[in-house]
Amino acid sequence: MEKQQFDFIGKSFDIKNIGKATGKEIYTCDVNIPGQLYAVVLRSPFPHAEIKKIDYSQAEKMGAICISGDDVPDILYNERIVSIPEKTYRDRTVLPKDKVRHVGEAVAACAAETEEEAFMALKKIKVEWGKKWRPLINLDKAMDPDALQIYDHVYLGEERVDINNNIACERNVDVGDIEEGFKEADEIVERTFSTQRVYHMQMETKSAVCVPEADGGITVWTTSQGIHNVRILLGNIFNIPLSKVNVKRTTLGGSFGSSIQMNSITPICVALALKAKRSVKLVTTREEDIYDHSKYPLKTILKIGAKKDGTLTAAHCRVWVEIGGHNIQAYPYLGCVAGWFASLYKWKNLKYEGTAVYTNKVPSCAMQGYGNPQINFAVESLIDILAEKLDMDPIEIRLKNYVGKGDEFWGQGPTVRSIIRSCGVEEMLIEGSKLAGWDKRTLPSKKKGDIRRGIGVARGFHTSGTGGPNPGEVIDYSGATIKINEDGSVDVLTALMDHGGGTWDAGAKVVAEVLKVPYSKVSIYSGVDTRTTVFDVNTHATRGVYCGCGAIKYVAEKVKEILLNYAATLFKDLPENLELTCNEELGQAVICPRGIPQNYMTLGEIAEHAHITSWGTIAHTATLRQKNCPPCFITHFVEVEVNTKTGEIKVPRAVIMGDSGTIINPDLWEGQIIGAFSRGLGFSLLEETKYDLNNGKLECNGMITDYKIPTTIDMPKVGSITVRSAHTYEPTGPFGAKGMGEAALSSVGSAVAIAIYNAIGIRFYELPITPEKVLKALKEKEGR
Amino acid sequence: MKKIEIEFTINGKKRRLSVKPNDLLINIIRNDLFLTGSKYGCGIGECGACTVLLNGEPVLSCLTLAATVDGKEITTIEGLAIGDELHPMQKAFLKNGAVQCGFCTPGMILTATALLKENPNSTEDEIRDYMRGNLCRCTGYIQIVKAIKSCENNLETS
Ligand code: FES
Ligand code: FES
Repeated sequence: MEKQQFDFIGKSFDIKNIGKATGKEIYTCDVNIPGQLYAVVLRSPFPHAEIKKIDYSQAEKMGAICISGDDVPDILYNERIVSIPEKTYRDRTVLPKDKVRHVGEAVAACAAETEEEAFMALKKIKVEWGKKWRPLINLDKAMDPDALQIYDHVYLGEERVDINNNIACERNVDVGDIEEGFKEADEIVERTFSTQRVYHMQMETKSAVCVPEADGGITVWTTSQGIHNVRILLGNIFNIPLSKVNVKRTTLGGSFGSSIQMNSITPICVALALKAKRSVKLVTTREEDIYDHSKYPLKTILKIGAKKDGTLTAAHCRVWVEIGGHNIQAYPYLGCVAGWFASLYKWKNLKYEGTAVYTNKVPSCAMQGYGNPQINFAVESLIDILAEKLDMDPIEIRLKNYVGKGDEFWGQGPTVRSIIRSCGVEEMLIEGSKLAGWDKRTLPSKKKGDIRRGIGVARGFHTSGTGGPNPGEVIDYSGATIKINEDGSVDVLTALMDHGGGTWDAGAKVVAEVLKVPYSKVSIYSGVDTRTTVFDVNTHATRGVYCGCGAIKYVAEKVKEILLNYAATLFKDLPENLELTCNEELGQAVICPRGIPQNYMTLGEIAEHAHITSWGTIAHTATLRQKNCPPCFITHFVEVEVNTKTGEIKVPRAVIMGDSGTIINPDLWEGQIIGAFSRGLGFSLLEETKYDLNNGKLECNGMITDYKIPTTIDMPKVGSITVRSAHTYEPTGPFGAKGMGEAALSSVGSAVAIAIYNAIGIRFYELPITPEKVLKALKEKEGR
Repeated sequence: MKKIEIEFTINGKKRRLSVKPNDLLINIIRNDLFLTGSKYGCGIGECGACTVLLNGEPVLSCLTLAATVDGKEITTIEGLAIGDELHPMQKAFLKNGAVQCGFCTPGMILTATALLKENPNSTEDEIRDYMRGNLCRCTGYIQIVKAIKSCENNLETS
């Protein structure tokens, strides 16, 4: 392990979030353009219906500007263009032309001088509906050969694909020979698991503002995890040269994956602005937002085999995902689920079969983990069952079989793989078990009383980015322009997005560390757009620090090279004889001939010299593709308290071990892990977007209080949640760093379910584990 | 609709506005006064993102009619710092890593200042209970509770 002393990496700077603590931060919904119109969207009350005609003449008489399917381009697109075009399914237009496929799907929109006028005009839009069908809500019903087809055909890249049995796409992977593998096994276990639809509930609802420019171009602010992809999509859909589409990078009020794709309202806002030839602002309501995106659910049948000593011999994994009314990214999703599954344990022989199915529900999309928490729940639960059958300690069986250093990790499905070079799994399991008091764990049969305590362990991971030695199906590169200003301060221009997890903070520290410039003099937080930055694919796949800041570090090093070369001319010396350090007293980076600190020049003096002698700006621009996808690991030890009278479950204590290599932002790193833990508790115990089978509407009716997410009182107390980091260094990462974000959620649900089993001796195979389910299961157990 | 003249103090400044009887305070603050620090998270009293202080008490500006603030004093997140000096609660949030995406932060900070004014020695359970109406999807609340705790007995009366 490389040991390094850092000036900035690993330190916390309070100033980073000052805009957010003072109300000065500008989110999309805070952008106002003088003379803007306000837009509102008409949404379908039906889950599956034919649109015959939309008449908005009355609304237009009121002065509103309206659009429907007839007004938008005929371009079929997929709103997520992270995968290469040949692997991207296309099934939608800006507004539907003939059919709606879920309740809440936008069918028309209008813009007016005030929001109130826009709402009044919206009421005048008449939709003539044709045939209306009963919704296909459940997976099995949708796949029934007699079921109505939600799509006749779609496109995969340029190729037409007919849809049968509502199957949107399939993906199979085979490694080795599972028949042989199961023959070798002494013990075989098989179970069916399912995880539910969850709503992202990012605090900021999806929003957009569009200004049509005089030259035919557009300027757009929107809630997005990747502004360049929005630029490319809008340019393609509206046939505007990409040089004339400018998308502003704006702070995001949370996202959790729901803005990897261009939001459905973004092109609606643009279409309205282009028609009105006026600026338009569109902020969706919470209800609209709940009807806009959802986490992918997953049904899994998993079978695994092992020898008596716990060595795994084979695994067969069959998964189904229902994706709702549009296919946003089901194909890469199925690939990723295969990858997470394949990379958890050394199965030796594996078979994976994945099927994605259209239903008449809200389109599902990535949500922190992209299938990882879903498949982890199945794998970790079944490993726990296997350990029990083999009479092995759950930690021992994991230590025996985990995929670790030197093994191959599938960072983004079967086509993106790289060798693991840093791994804290062993340390986390062993140290974590000490902190959690694992040896004091008792069997379910030993518990008594109404309140029963249990402890569970589960481990997980996520990739850091989607790079491999060879580019796979996923586009992955980032970039930056870095320039030294005339006073020695530094501008970092990057399209890299920050969801709040500290990606920009990390970027600023990486630049500060390379150029030895005080953190407070590095500006990364605001003022960029697609026109002033080079491409960055997206902040998804936990790639912000590893890939985004990896690229930033690469550019900063180039700038350092230019700087030292220029300084060498001033010192009349060779660049390699110069030393760059941070002088805290001066609050400046300084350069001196190595070993002669008194002969220093400050970075400000050097930059000023370059300026007044007209040498030019010390700056560099480049993009970089990371060629690895190192896993960041996590291990959860969770304690639960089950009230056998009410079925309620509390989580009084947790020990969470994380492996991110070098930690760049310690306070936000911990915050990411704890935040993911709370979302994980929501996923395990509370949250589900349930549908009415008859009318296809959400049972929560678009209300947060009826949906329920964790609040302050659902979390363990401050001192009862312990977060620790493994001691690792990722040789391919910026200063030894890899990611954390999505990993932190991956094993929460599994650990909670396993802890519940330890408390009451009942296995749950379906999330969320609600009090009703607990009571029902307890009753059944007693009845037996 | 007939407009009503109202006069109120916001962040220490007197303002006169004419509003419609059904205008919501959140819209007046965000759209007319351009104080966009108060956030819209739900519009129906479910999330706390729109919290402002009305005569020192936390209220949900999305449920408050603008007409009812006549003669009253409003503090939004923009008015909490005194000059360049951040309010101790703002500092505590920054210091404890209690801010991620920041969308809940203004409402959280304002609610927390009201809590400690009411009860400067709140226990952790009291803090958790008082703050439960303010939703945060990013942080998992622990660092927020820590930040509030660190401010106890440390809030000058403002
Ligand atoms: S916006 Fe007022 S409580 Fe949510
Ligand atoms: S910091 Fe994002 S919602 Fe609280």
